[in-house]
Amino acid sequence: MTRYFVLLPEALLVALAVAVMVAGRFGWLQATSRRWLPLAVSVVVLVALGVELWAGALVGTFFGGALVSDRFALFAKAAVLLTAAVAIATTDWTAEDSLFLGLAMPLLAAFGVMVAASSADLVGLWAGLEVAGAASVVMVALRRPDLSLRLLVAGGIASALVLVGLAFVYATTGNPNLSGIRAVIGNEAPALPLAIPVLLLLGGLAVRAGIAPFHVAGLQVGLGASPLGAGLIFGTAAVAAATVGMKLTAALVAIPDVYVPWVNVVSALAMVGGGAAALAVRSPRPRLAYLAVSQLGWVAAGVGTHFRSGIGGSLFLLGAFAVAATCGPALLGRAEGGEPAIHGFGTLRPVRAAGLALAMLSLAGAPPLAGFFGELAVAMALAQSGSYVLLGLGLLGSVLAIAAVVGTLRVLYIQSPLEESRRGAAAALPAVTALSTAGAVVFCIVIAGYGVFGNPIMGLADQGAEALGLR
Amino acid sequence: MTLLAAIVQASPTPAPVPGAGIFTSPFLLSLLIWLPVFIAVAIALMPNPRGRYDVLMKQIAFFTMLGLMFILFIAYNQFENFLPTMQYEEKVPWLPAIGVTYHLGVDGPGLVMLMLSGLIGLASVLASLGVRERVRAYFSLLLLTQASVNGAIVARDMFVFVMFWAAAAVPLAVLILGWGGPRRTTAAWRLLGYWGLGTAALVVGVLALYTLAGGRSFDMDVLLKATLTPRNQVVISIAMIVAAATRLPLFPLHGWVRDVLAEAPVGVAVIVAGAATRLGAFLLLRTVIAAEPAAGHLLSPLLAALAAMTVGYAGLAALRTVDVRHMAAYLAMVPGGITVLGLAAISPLGIAGSVLSLFTGGLAAALIAGVCATLAERAQSRSLAVLSGLAPRMPNVAWLLIIAALALLGVPILSSFTAEVMTFFGAFKNQPIGAFAVAAGLAVTAVALATLLRRVLFGSPNPDAPGVSDASLGETWFLGLLAGALLWVGMFPGGPKIPGTEFPLFDPGLLNQMTAGISDLASPYTPPTPGGVTQ
Repeated sequence: MTRYFVLLPEALLVALAVAVMVAGRFGWLQATSRRWLPLAVSVVVLVALGVELWAGALVGTFFGGALVSDRFALFAKAAVLLTAAVAIATTDWTAEDSLFLGLAMPLLAAFGVMVAASSADLVGLWAGLEVAGAASVVMVALRRPDLSLRLLVAGGIASALVLVGLAFVYATTGNPNLSGIRAVIGNEAPALPLAIPVLLLLGGLAVRAGIAPFHVAGLQVGLGASPLGAGLIFGTAAVAAATVGMKLTAALVAIPDVYVPWVNVVSALAMVGGGAAALAVRSPRPRLAYLAVSQLGWVAAGVGTHFRSGIGGSLFLLGAFAVAATCGPALLGRAEGGEPAIHGFGTLRPVRAAGLALAMLSLAGAPPLAGFFGELAVAMALAQSGSYVLLGLGLLGSVLAIAAVVGTLRVLYIQSPLEESRRGAAAALPAVTALSTAGAVVFCIVIAGYGVFGNPIMGLADQGAEALGLR
Repeated sequence: MTLLAAIVQASPTPAPVPGAGIFTSPFLLSLLIWLPVFIAVAIALMPNPRGRYDVLMKQIAFFTMLGLMFILFIAYNQFENFLPTMQYEEKVPWLPAIGVTYHLGVDGPGLVMLMLSGLIGLASVLASLGVRERVRAYFSLLLLTQASVNGAIVARDMFVFVMFWAAAAVPLAVLILGWGGPRRTTAAWRLLGYWGLGTAALVVGVLALYTLAGGRSFDMDVLLKATLTPRNQVVISIAMIVAAATRLPLFPLHGWVRDVLAEAPVGVAVIVAGAATRLGAFLLLRTVIAAEPAAGHLLSPLLAALAAMTVGYAGLAALRTVDVRHMAAYLAMVPGGITVLGLAAISPLGIAGSVLSLFTGGLAAALIAGVCATLAERAQSRSLAVLSGLAPRMPNVAWLLIIAALALLGVPILSSFTAEVMTFFGAFKNQPIGAFAVAAGLAVTAVALATLLRRVLFGSPNPDAPGVSDASLGETWFLGLLAGALLWVGMFPGGPKIPGTEFPLFDPGLLNQMTAGISDLASPYTPPTPGGVTQ
């Protein structure tokens, strides 16, 4: 029985999400719950994280091999639980459209990533991906039903691509299990019938992740969503897709020719295009979104190396990406009035401004923050695999991204704040609460300490890559 | 000690300095990095309603730099110059999965760079005492810059080095954007662009080196001692030269220097010209020259050519410009060219000269940038058409500008003379064309400097010019500190001695201390003696 403790975090998340939604729907919680409920949910998620770190060390399979508990799952689940806890704590709940749904959806999105991370077969991967995507759609629908419809359609197309790809892979290998697929493919030469479904599959995942050049739908939707909703789209939903991508490519590692060129092209486009686009825009939220695209390109580049060190580096970077990309928009708060909305943010909301600056710098890969260590780990794998062109393009993207972030730093810390009379609703400042301040402080510590105290994290990421069967 | 003896002593036969090695600390170098970071964070977190604690923040920054200088003086004084190994080493496994260790250490050249960094840091805070706006952010960023420069100097792991090398760009760009002159935006973007390009080249070079060295460790003791084919050495060295050329800067990758040094606030211009840019030559010394001897031999003519083009271009550009801060920016490029010429000499004497010129060149570049910025500020104009006959009205600035000019040219009594003599003595043997071209460039620089001095200081006063005032006490102190250091090392390169003895009074001498490790760095280029024993 105790071996099932490893599933306790998932159970806690789902139970908590359902309880919050039901309590909100039936009005069981009073208006004062706005003060303590986010704190309570954050604490429960942190408890789930503690349980995961304690029980997740156990390696085993569950439900007839449908779910697996290994180091990859442990890393991805721990990263997404930490992300959810910090995101909920840092969110300005006055800027969200619904407290109860706003609290429940990050939990369900995290649950989706957890399912995908511990899934051992194609069905689990797809289910996890869909749960994470659906949570984003709900968050957007709370504010902009038109945009949520758009996200739903884009997600539907992505799902169709993924499903067709999964079906073809299943039909080709005759096995829904990832280890089974890997065993079958290991004995076959790459062939066109397999290359096409893999292309469709990865195309669907790219749309889900919002990686360039497939970022258009998700990006526009994210710009219209609430802060936390944007964080879910730019961060957690992309993490779900990246997690699925890592597991699938690990299963297909015996035939890298089928997917590596495609992944390399997409990652190059994302790294350079994301950095250039971040430099071209001035508003903070689009800039955050493009920075996320750029860093996701690095994650994809690591996956494209199809070696343990590359996927390990990608996984390490994915942890940093999850925290920064999900919490960044939440730290920004309302601030939808373009660049002037954050003029003098460093003076008016110093802790949030510090968090936002660190989130952007980390997404850009500036030293010595989380993203820098992750990108350098991937860069190392690229050099080892001889992909110097991709490495050069990635570095170019990072330079562009850092230049973009310096522009935002100037606005945050050097520009004078807007006069109160000129500050409309779109530029309203985030409310200051003890929880949001503490959340921002924790966020800063995580981003600054991720690499500095990164030995156990990187070791776990490396073991995670090993657990996928990579050498 | 006579000058010739000092120069001879710079060759790799160091003698132990009495009193050294009594004190040591397992975290002395970490203090130099993390103390400013800690103080910067503390300043950033301090409440400062309506600027009430601006003065306190300036004092905290000043005493932090003074404290760092004190720590550095201990490190300098206790340094054992007869040991060829790294000293004050710290080695802690950091990210063992990819072979990263938190490895710090200094040898002679590292100690010279640290002393330079400490002096420049102190001068930059003194130069910044006049900052009135957003004092908290300014001094936090300045301290972070200082920490990153110190970190890059003492790093003995390439990953750590890259981290600190890259980390300086962001705070500097924000400092320029926030407190710079009218063209600050251009300056900041150019800095980020060029330094970003250099960092990218460095990362590629380091990762290629890491891969070719077996991919197990980023430790310099492993990477820089790996046996590589000449072709690989050349490829990696070219990446390192690009990185160094963007930072030092060397022609043709100097596009940022004019705008940055002309638009940055004085304190920032001082730290950029004095310490941050010297890291470029330091990188060349550590990697191309010391670690890749085959590439060093092959690429030394290229380095000499870059040095000559840099000095020549800087001199000509300084001659043409009509903006005093632009002129200072061009002139600040000259010491970098001389340092690279010393490295291109690939001889023990040339390398020793280039190590000393890291120190003297940094001071001279910071002094010319600082004094011209002060002059422009105090005279309320940057135009050479307006500035004229200022010597009687700005005596302090006038003297300091003269010292800066003499330091750039390497005039006796100033330490840059010793460095230039060593560099040229070393270079004329192996790179005669390059050395001649650099000397010609220096002649053009001399003309530019003479023109500057004649017009600005000793020309007929301009009745239409705005009112001028001499340097304030803080400005005189920071400029005097730089000039004093140049004079001190120039007069006592081996340190002052207790009369009648060979015991150092309190300063063991920069030339003595810098020799530790130079023999090791220069060993690939040491000619064999007739008896078969290498010198």
